[in-house]
Amino acid sequence: MTTTGTPSPGATRVGPARRPASAPLRVLTVVALVAGVIAIALIPLSATPYTNYQLSVVAAFAVAILGLNIVSGYAGQISLGQSAFMGLGAYAAAFGVTHGWPVVASFLLAALLPAVVGLVVAIPAVRLRGNALATVTIILPILAVPLAKRFSDITGGSEGLNVDWMHAPAGVGLDDDQWRYYVVVAIAAVLFLLGRNIVVGRIGRAFAVVRTNEAVASAMGISAHRYKVLAFTIASFYGGAAGFLYVAVVQFASPDLPNFLVAINMLAALVIGGFASLWGSVVAGFFYVYVPVFAGAVDPSRTNIFYGAALLLVLFIVPGGVSGGVSRLVRLLVGRLFGRRPPARDDDALTDPQPITSTQQDTAVPDASPDGLRSSVGPRKEVP
Amino acid sequence: MTSRLSVRDLSLHFGGIQVLDSVGLAVEPDTIVGLVGPNGAGKTSLFNCISGHYRPTSGSILVDGVPTLHRPPHRMAELGLSRTFQHPALQLDASVLDNVLIGAHTRLRGGALSWALRLPFTISGERRARQRAGELLDHLGLAGVADRPAGSLAHGLHKRVELARALLSEPRLLLLDEPAGGLPHAEVEQLIETIRAIRTEFGLTIVIVEHHMGLISALTDRVVVLVQGRKLLEGTALEAQRHPLVVEAYLGRTAA
Repeated sequence: MTTTGTPSPGATRVGPARRPASAPLRVLTVVALVAGVIAIALIPLSATPYTNYQLSVVAAFAVAILGLNIVSGYAGQISLGQSAFMGLGAYAAAFGVTHGWPVVASFLLAALLPAVVGLVVAIPAVRLRGNALATVTIILPILAVPLAKRFSDITGGSEGLNVDWMHAPAGVGLDDDQWRYYVVVAIAAVLFLLGRNIVVGRIGRAFAVVRTNEAVASAMGISAHRYKVLAFTIASFYGGAAGFLYVAVVQFASPDLPNFLVAINMLAALVIGGFASLWGSVVAGFFYVYVPVFAGAVDPSRTNIFYGAALLLVLFIVPGGVSGGVSRLVRLLVGRLFGRRPPARDDDALTDPQPITSTQQDTAVPDASPDGLRSSVGPRKEVP
Repeated sequence: MTSRLSVRDLSLHFGGIQVLDSVGLAVEPDTIVGLVGPNGAGKTSLFNCISGHYRPTSGSILVDGVPTLHRPPHRMAELGLSRTFQHPALQLDASVLDNVLIGAHTRLRGGALSWALRLPFTISGERRARQRAGELLDHLGLAGVADRPAGSLAHGLHKRVELARALLSEPRLLLLDEPAGGLPHAEVEQLIETIRAIRTEFGLTIVIVEHHMGLISALTDRVVVLVQGRKLLEGTALEAQRHPLVVEAYLGRTAA
């Protein structure tokens, strides 16, 4: 029964499309994906060992930054502590390796130990908001470095822990760098797939509404506190897993990794790559690894200048980061080439908005909390 | 028969300011109750108390006989309560469909791990939720804009998206905060029809805060008039409109 006098012409659109995508855009995405997978598979066979090493490090950092993206980009809770979890994961992996653990056991330790630490930290920490939460999270790397140096029995102190593992099995016909590349990229791909599944469904929608409006979240039965803790825990899990991947490539865990500058640079790289975007995390991984390389070619101290300039560019020109900018550009080009703007659908009456459009100026503020119902206002504290 | 919603002796202070003063209210199943009163009368505050967003200073609230005062707001949906907001609160960059699907949260099961692994029940649940959301969008005349970013829609459509989101949680009790606010006349007529239809179809009990007296008269079984945090009177819409105290409260003493 249609009640509003605007009968919808066709069947209801309940496709899987998460965002408006036209047919040519979908084809383009599939082609790009297939080409990407082939390129990723073939590159290490012809690249230099050093390039393979760098690309593997990119994959490790992309995973760490994906975790950061889940808590900061998707759930909106700024964390400056991601490097601490990556460092913890790296030490845990090195611990497992030096004690002769099976690889799978080392991986589980490297991912789950940081997840548990993240959970324990998050339960009280996410009661804070915005800058206060960011300030608390920055304590993690600041604590992690001296702790790593202090417990030198386990961590190797300032020297760090060298490990010797993840060699190409005999008979595979691959060098170590190629083998490590494939292992690391495969694990990273699985983690990205799992991350994608998280951010597109029930959990991802809950993260998004917690980020944009906690009053609406609670009205829809979503506990903001619980989902912030969850996002933080997932981020810590990804940080730890990234630490494992890092040790698989670099064969080394040291106090340089949990450093807070690493966390800040990861966040900056994420802003540049694109918040709340899976591709953004990949771009950020490349940015994180390659900017110091390029900057180093000019002058090693110039990395920060590159970061600063890129950040400013992104903030002023492409607020969605590189991934957002590229996808907008692709949409625009596809729209031009195929004669219509993909997001527009001219096959129904409502697309041409009724006269009401012009009567409403207050559409500019609906993102604000309803009725001053900000959870910091009012007699009730948000969610015990 | 227990009332769907029962508010007893409810008071709310913000610091020294008395926002609600011993307000009582009973809403029977399958009725529509209007909540009217001048700006600042405490209508939205009463809604916020009912939905758990504000904690009243004293009094009690029961939904289907269940006391709700110590429930956090995110545990109200499981009692079959849903609401819309005075100022539509949508994620402007997300699609209309994604905005509406948030309403399905309590209807879907499974935590992060189940969803990460795409366990079969999450896939079928998601499919059902999308199906249901599609039907609702169709119902509310939004099917054509399902994939568009919510921010690109006109204000009147935002209100419908909010309504669809609230309905997707399959509530028994629905709180509508100024559903006609800012709508031109023709749209209000349409809205009245829509609310009537969804009420019958979903067996809803509805409480409406609204200034639009036409909508109140057309829809409500009973009207509660709030003035300065107190219940002035309760009756039919016609009784309320004719009551001298209501006229005075709205228009001032001399006009009466």
